[in-house]
Amino acid sequence: MELVTKLWWRLRALFGRSSIERDMDEELRAHISLRTEANIAAGMSPDEALRDARVRFGGLEGIKEACRDVRGAGMFDVLVQDVRFAGRMIRKYPGLSLVSVIGMSVAIAVAAGYFAVSNAFLDPTVPIPDGDRVVSLQNTDATGEGGDRQKARDFVAWRDGLKRVHELAAFATTRRNLLLAGRDLERVDVAQMTASGFRVARTAPHLGRVLLDVDEGAGAPPVVVIAHDEWQRVFGGDPAILGRQVRVGADVCTVVGVMPEGFRFPVNHRYWVPLRIRPADADSGGGPSLSIFGRLADGATLDDAEAELAVVGARMAAAYPETHQHFRPRVMPYAYPFLGLDDPHATLAIRGWQLGIALLLVVVAANVAILVYARVATRTGEIAVRMALGANRRRVIAQLSVEALVLSVSAAVIGLAIAAFGLDALQAHIRADANSQLPFWVRLGLSPAVIVYVAGLAITGGVIAGIIPALKATGLRVHAGLQQLSMRGSQQQLGQMWTALVVVQVAVAVAILPFAVYNAAKGVGRAFTQPSYPAHELLRASLSLEAATDSATSEAATADADKKRFRQLAGELLRRVEAEPGVSGVAFTSQFPGNERPARIEIEGMRQTEIPSQTVEPQGASIRTAEIEPDLFSLFTVPIVAGRAFLDSDARAASTVIVDQLFEERFLQGASALGRRVRFLNKANSGARPTEVEPGPWLEVVGVVPAFVASGDFDGSDPRVYRPMALEDASTRLQLAVRGQRDSLLDLAERVADIAAALDPALELDQVQCAADDELQERRASLFVAIGISAVTASVLLLSATGIYAMMSFTVTKRRREIGIRVALGADARRILSGIFARASAQLSAGVLTGFALAFAVDRAVGGGPLSEKGMLLLPAVAALLIIVGLLAALGPARRVLAVHPVEVLRED
Amino acid sequence: MGTSNAKLLQGTLDMLILQALRLAPMHGFGIGRRIMQLADDALIVEEGSLYPAIYRLEQRGWIKGEWGLSEKNQRARYYKLTARGRKQLQVEGENWERLAAAVTKVMQAV
Repeated sequence: MELVTKLWWRLRALFGRSSIERDMDEELRAHISLRTEANIAAGMSPDEALRDARVRFGGLEGIKEACRDVRGAGMFDVLVQDVRFAGRMIRKYPGLSLVSVIGMSVAIAVAAGYFAVSNAFLDPTVPIPDGDRVVSLQNTDATGEGGDRQKARDFVAWRDGLKRVHELAAFATTRRNLLLAGRDLERVDVAQMTASGFRVARTAPHLGRVLLDVDEGAGAPPVVVIAHDEWQRVFGGDPAILGRQVRVGADVCTVVGVMPEGFRFPVNHRYWVPLRIRPADADSGGGPSLSIFGRLADGATLDDAEAELAVVGARMAAAYPETHQHFRPRVMPYAYPFLGLDDPHATLAIRGWQLGIALLLVVVAANVAILVYARVATRTGEIAVRMALGANRRRVIAQLSVEALVLSVSAAVIGLAIAAFGLDALQAHIRADANSQLPFWVRLGLSPAVIVYVAGLAITGGVIAGIIPALKATGLRVHAGLQQLSMRGSQQQLGQMWTALVVVQVAVAVAILPFAVYNAAKGVGRAFTQPSYPAHELLRASLSLEAATDSATSEAATADADKKRFRQLAGELLRRVEAEPGVSGVAFTSQFPGNERPARIEIEGMRQTEIPSQTVEPQGASIRTAEIEPDLFSLFTVPIVAGRAFLDSDARAASTVIVDQLFEERFLQGASALGRRVRFLNKANSGARPTEVEPGPWLEVVGVVPAFVASGDFDGSDPRVYRPMALEDASTRLQLAVRGQRDSLLDLAERVADIAAALDPALELDQVQCAADDELQERRASLFVAIGISAVTASVLLLSATGIYAMMSFTVTKRRREIGIRVALGADARRILSGIFARASAQLSAGVLTGFALAFAVDRAVGGGPLSEKGMLLLPAVAALLIIVGLLAALGPARRVLAVHPVEVLRED
Repeated sequence: MGTSNAKLLQGTLDMLILQALRLAPMHGFGIGRRIMQLADDALIVEEGSLYPAIYRLEQRGWIKGEWGLSEKNQRARYYKLTARGRKQLQVEGENWERLAAAVTKVMQAV
């Protein structure tokens, strides 16, 4: 209660200063006039009465000041004064201030950015009515394997078995061709969703109706519901949209509804068609994989629902051990599966990183604290005088803290601006990607939570950078400070602390920098590497076939028919595209070069431990692989440097591979790979333990190509192993590479899409783009990461160097008196200099050696990386840099000290 | 008025103000006059120094101030004891009695 009253007065003092001041004035004046009247009544003359009243009252200004203090109105003046003083200090030490602000703003920007992103993912509120009651249901694999886990069978069993989750719904996303008279063919993401999904969403349509249960029935006429902005964009906001016909993939659908603006449920969808659960799929366990969700029943919790689901899950595991033996069904907040949070460790990992990144700020702030302390320490005399004159310790600490807070708050403002800019760029980048699966409710931006977080960081940074040095400087040794003022006594106890700080500072910089520089350099290198194949002349596209939904035949038969149809259509497409003018070649592959999938292999006659590389683990050597049409290399003008290219017969025999030179370099110490045999280590099929691998047949290396890929994964450094493929081996998805002429590639892209659409609307051509554009995107992303790492590294380096500089020059300046006496006693300048440098070098070397040890320890802990490659050279370079900075820092003050006449130094005492 | 007197006042002024307000609300001038009256003019309160103390008590919620009119129709700020102030006065009064008794005992010892 007392606290509340106090707080009320404090707030009034802050915001109602003038009214407090007015009241006080009037009250004090009233007092004097009351006393005057009383005096007159007692028989004094008016003049005398007034004078007496004033004397009795005492010094008016002093009393007002005391009253202001009590009211808290003075607090504000003091704060203004402190801030003004801080501003003066910042101007007086611009270098220190600039370095501190830069360092902290980079750290705050990184922390704020990460916090904003992770918060947008971890605490998403799905913007539908009672969005927090909507849950996702998912099978998790107890063995940790990923993959598709819910199908029609699970959906039916869960829907029938659950009481605590209502309106169980399912959806699958497919990309379909959208064909409308008078418009170009477009590829759109379509949600095949059960009608119950709309009941979960509880959102009324803008026009017409949502999907209904009857739409799911076999033989029901095909219908589609569209999003508001698609209605505007594609149909020009046609008021008579309902009932219009539009071709969505293989079906001609009637538009039955338009959803309201902003509705993108379930993830980021703009078209909705009914999901038909085929009884055959429910029986056989086949069909597409589904995302399943629903609403918690009133009063039910996640745990209740999960307990109920566990019972159903146990029944399924008993009934279908071959597929469900390792499954454990879980119920989780709706958004989790779409953000990769379905793994319970993911949340923890994200929070862990958050903490780690916040710790970066602590490191930076500690560095700033060292700088501030070095500065404050030169002011111990001033502080001692102030305290001796009666300033209490709190006031001095408050003032020093305000100085640090001004720095950290400036850094926070700059950091927030950087973060806002970065998040905008990121969001724009993601939204611009047409294939983006970023859920519609994720907003990357500066939410109030981020601002609060940054405010917290700024205060933490300010406390570390200001209060700790202030506490030390105002520590119990006012007396010692005064002594220092008069004697400039040598401070042995400080010397040890400085030595320790220099050593730690150098060690940390030496240990961390090689890794950062290595990664940044790799990113920059990738950003500026041109692909060594003619990417500007190559068109890439992904080709697939919309699965037929024929409920009459069995799944296996349908799949076989699909495959056959796809091969036939793909073959025809390749023939027609090749015949186009300007096309000099066409090839297909399972993955476009640069996007090869990771795999593990065994090399014949070589035990895994003998392969001299960190990429080897017990399960085999890490490589990337793709199946390619035999003449892909010639289309990419990749030369065969040894052996031969694939022949058409290789595809049938399936006993040969071609590797790249990185393979020889990495696994064979540069020896020729020709004639060696390798085999793929596939994951074992169900039934066995999932860590077991089943080796495939031995395959012979018949050719070697250069490592020609520039795009793809970030480290890009895994060796490649290519296998031959014929069209007959294709399933229902292929990557196409079409070589044309550089200037007419865009026209060619359109013609290829037209050819595909003309062949069959169910033939889906996706991500048609120039290979060079794709490369460019990858390179931009690399550059983005490299810039981020560089900014952080540079700010850490800057702070370390400045910190070391400050400490070195500070320690030398501290010895000014000692040196003055020695010079006065006739010591040789060279001896004194060598003494100073011997000490500085000893500190720096100790730091460097500790740093080396740390770096190797870290390198070993992360499983080898920079240090095992060219990064080794970085260690001495970084060490040399820091030693030079340290010695330079010692040189300046040492010369200054020597230049001063000894008598002057001694006179200062 | 020497420093020793001022210190004594600083410790006890709060209590004296609360006591002065025990019977009726009063303005600052009235409080000072009442204290002197109760002490038979043995205590001299520097009138200005009353106000920081009054504000402190108001801030603690022990007294509450309101603008009103004096007998001579002059605007003045009147203070009255709050319930919590009354309780506080009792506590301080008891403490003071104990202290005074103890000090007296010490001083009367031979």
